[in-house]
Amino acid sequence: MNLKYEVIVVGGGHAGTEAAAAAARAGIRTLLVTPDLGRLGQMSCNPAIGGVAKGVVAREVDALGGLMGRATDASRIQFRMLNRSKGPAVWGPRAQCDRALYPVAIRRALDELDSLDLFQEMVTELVVEDGRVRGARTRGGVTLQAEAIVVTAGTFLRGRIHVGGTAGVGAGRAGEAPSVELAEGLEGLGLELARFKTGTPPRVDGRSVDYSAMERQEGESPGGRFSFYHQEDVPEQRPCWITWAGTDLKEIVRTNLERSALYGGSISGRGPRYCPSIEDKIIRFPNAARHQVFLEPEGLHTTELYVNGLSTSLPAEVQLEFLRTLPGMADVRMTKTGYAIEYDYFPPHQLRHTLELKAVRGLYLAGQVNGTTGYEEAAGQGVVAGANAALKVRGEPPFVLERDQAYIGVLIDDLVTRGVDEPYRLFTSRAEFRLMLRQDNAHRRLGPLARDRGLLTRQQESILAERLREEDRILVWFRETTLTPAVAQAVLTSAASQPITEPTRALDLLRRPRVRAEALYSSTGPGRAPLARADALAAVEIELKYEGYVARERERARKLRERANILLDNDLQYMGFLTLSHEAREKLDRVRPETLAQAARIPGVSPADLQNLVLELRRRRSAGVGQ
Amino acid sequence: MGEVDTIVAVATGPGGALSVVRMSGPSAFEILSALCDGEQPVPPARVATLRTLKDPAERSAIDRALVVRYPSPASYTGEDLVELSCHGGWLIPALVCEACEALGARRAEPGEFTRRAYLNGKLDLVQAEAVADLVEARSRAGHRAAMSQVERGLSRRVGELRASILHLEALLAHHLDFPEEDDAPVSVDGIATDAAELAGRMVALIATAPEGELLREGAVAVLAGAPNTGKSSLFNALVGRERAIVTAHPGTTRDALEAVVQLRGFPFRLVDTAGMRETPDAVERLGVEVAFERLTEAHVVLLCVDDGAPPREPSFLARVKSTPVVVVRSKADLRKQAPQSSAPPEWCADVVDTSVVTGEGLDVLRSLLPSLVFRGMVQAGTEQPVLTRRRQTRALQAALDAVRAFHAALLSDVPPEVASSHLKEAETALEDLVGVIAVEDVLDAVFAEFCIGK
Repeated sequence: MNLKYEVIVVGGGHAGTEAAAAAARAGIRTLLVTPDLGRLGQMSCNPAIGGVAKGVVAREVDALGGLMGRATDASRIQFRMLNRSKGPAVWGPRAQCDRALYPVAIRRALDELDSLDLFQEMVTELVVEDGRVRGARTRGGVTLQAEAIVVTAGTFLRGRIHVGGTAGVGAGRAGEAPSVELAEGLEGLGLELARFKTGTPPRVDGRSVDYSAMERQEGESPGGRFSFYHQEDVPEQRPCWITWAGTDLKEIVRTNLERSALYGGSISGRGPRYCPSIEDKIIRFPNAARHQVFLEPEGLHTTELYVNGLSTSLPAEVQLEFLRTLPGMADVRMTKTGYAIEYDYFPPHQLRHTLELKAVRGLYLAGQVNGTTGYEEAAGQGVVAGANAALKVRGEPPFVLERDQAYIGVLIDDLVTRGVDEPYRLFTSRAEFRLMLRQDNAHRRLGPLARDRGLLTRQQESILAERLREEDRILVWFRETTLTPAVAQAVLTSAASQPITEPTRALDLLRRPRVRAEALYSSTGPGRAPLARADALAAVEIELKYEGYVARERERARKLRERANILLDNDLQYMGFLTLSHEAREKLDRVRPETLAQAARIPGVSPADLQNLVLELRRRRSAGVGQ
Repeated sequence: MGEVDTIVAVATGPGGALSVVRMSGPSAFEILSALCDGEQPVPPARVATLRTLKDPAERSAIDRALVVRYPSPASYTGEDLVELSCHGGWLIPALVCEACEALGARRAEPGEFTRRAYLNGKLDLVQAEAVADLVEARSRAGHRAAMSQVERGLSRRVGELRASILHLEALLAHHLDFPEEDDAPVSVDGIATDAAELAGRMVALIATAPEGELLREGAVAVLAGAPNTGKSSLFNALVGRERAIVTAHPGTTRDALEAVVQLRGFPFRLVDTAGMRETPDAVERLGVEVAFERLTEAHVVLLCVDDGAPPREPSFLARVKSTPVVVVRSKADLRKQAPQSSAPPEWCADVVDTSVVTGEGLDVLRSLLPSLVFRGMVQAGTEQPVLTRRRQTRALQAALDAVRAFHAALLSDVPPEVASSHLKEAETALEDLVGVIAVEDVLDAVFAEFCIGK
């Protein structure tokens, strides 16, 4: 059989489904091919989307037209806005999701896209001619032809699962076969591969848990939404439970340490420091009296619980033994054992900012294959890779998000420029412009960018236009409306703010601590201000309250962009720039930055090196063409 | 080709029995070889070797010189570098330079050697400035301060401040990025306390700036007083040679005389002025006006009187209210009885009896003046880094302002992630200081201050 498409996406996880959907939304004939169509958008680790920074990414994916936001709304069984006690720039929406409902919602959303086809097969080989991808072959002997291919193989490339006491087993996820031929094929293209590890905790049967010994953690009611374009029906809500790992557990882990796959020496790849196994926690922080453990419901129609905080690769019987030391879990039954997994990734300096490989035209990589962790990080890359594959087919310029435009921009630039030495996760601290990159303004930042490149559906375009108009109206109202002392009095009193004696601009009152936009907006009485939705008002409130700070951040971003304007040719002979340090020459030669600003972000390139680089470029230029 | 060229300059100042000519760049060794007429074996690296230098055109010998070769990168500039120790004076070093130029080298611009050292990563910006200071160090204390910076005293201190800012950012990152962690939460109050402590350390370093800058400039000590009160004699005694004309006639000194002296290792510009009096003599009156002008620049005033009576504050001191004044009761050897000692009056820092004949009181003055002008440095000892340049002070002040703004924002309800943008500014300001983001015009300003050859 021979199938011909414009874009083919290999893999159906968070990166793959987003990539395929993004290409299809752009009207490109797209095929998603994956070994198991029953597991589209599978949550292989914890059943949750979002968090600090990651929640913003989920909203960015949504703003770009993606699937993650609506699938989260349709499957979430708890919603919390993390960091609500801090400023809105670091608020992070987080949802517990029903592990069974999420993939259903993803599948439903994919089925809405007319130009997307799905196909169940394992891709074993890529066809590359003259440095350009032409197609792929599958294990079942099907030949696929495409102008661009996005590979989103997750942890499947030569994946090996380790549980203590057993030899590692080849697998991409528990119970699923690894992808070995594809890894070998990519290696055969001359791509550099390296190895990471990550882990997952055991799952337990909720019927064997005594909740009365635990702390109940409720979600927010009604809770917010991730999706801006789609109004999904939200399921019923469930609590999470908090318990603590104490000294008994520590002792068990410590005495069995050499039986851990992680510490017994059977795993060599590097793991994430911010998501340590319980073995790691106990070795690195021996003095901590206890460690927090969250029991998260796996779904509405299952009693299974995910034991967040106890990722491990100890033998099954040790896992059960230590689980039973937790308060409320004395008689617990384990439903799945935790494990560690090792997998190949492609050190991401081999990519352009479009996620296209520098070495193979038309071949894109997205998700965990690029050394990241997290569903959101994967989804964000998926949208960008899929959009760029589509634009390439159309012969249009690439779609690149900058560091001051999106967390996704920060993520990809970090990958491409700085590389990774542990599985990469986003934090707000990675973003130098985090006041601008908020969860509340994702649609405002990214919606128009996606729309202008033809990456949204018609329906999404019209929702966006209507919402932006509404917010603009509210912004104008605050800037242009003056409130009299009498009208403002009640609002100011309830905010414990000084009363005013002169008519004052609504904007100036809004900038006072504790004064809320909604209260001011409704203070003039019904019909005096245009009707507004609560979330639009909230977004405007944040924008206006921190306007001064945000403006300074924009200015800083603008200055950096000026430096970004110095372009570096891809064929510069860095090794010959003897005035640069040896380390800098090697790093520049490896990364081949596109701009001076990018060069400045490469670790090991010092300011003196940058100065010299500028001088070298100047010399080259003054030496004239033909040198 | 886009090659770096080879530069040459006389590295030592004029005068003296020997001069060092320095040459750096890719052709330095080739030119050296031609200069030695190619006949002799090439001198081994880093070994002083005697060679006859010849004029390339006339083949005549210019000088016999000690030649040292420093192959790249182990040289001051990081390039191939040659140092030629030839005979001093005006002519020979100039001939050597000309010969090198004839062989393809280019005359170096001020500071160009150090600029190359900086660009090749041999020095950071603060160290480069310190080299300039070292070259023109006017005193041992200045020399020590400059030395300690070449050895990264200030860079290290700034590095510590930067590390503290990074530490604050790390605390914030923990606070903001890991809200669900069970580790003892970092409190905003704790971060604010750390920020205040950091600001304190920055204030202490900035406080060294006024004195540090004086280390480079020299503190102005003005000798003032009525005519014929022994100002010029004291000036000569402190300078150590006959510079001012001393006569018994009041009003001998018409113009202000200035000399650089070291007192206990600290640099002073000692200024002798005309005696303060109403005078019909137009020239002398001009001298008095100059004296008034110099007084306003003074970092310390030596008010000379020639009797042992309790001093009275002269009216002309009204215009230098904040400058410390030392009353010098000169000609102590002429007084029959020891003057009554009492606590100095409020308007003066101290009263010292001196005699240029017996030397009485001169040592007291030599210690007293530094302790008045360089009080902080005298107390802190010589190990502490000081800021010696405006640029350094400005950058640190900008960083301090940013840290203070951060602190104030934290205490006034501004959310921590918003406040943290001030921290980024502080970090950038410190990076400006050590040259991490050195822009071209900063470099130009820094390097233009260098004398040729360094």
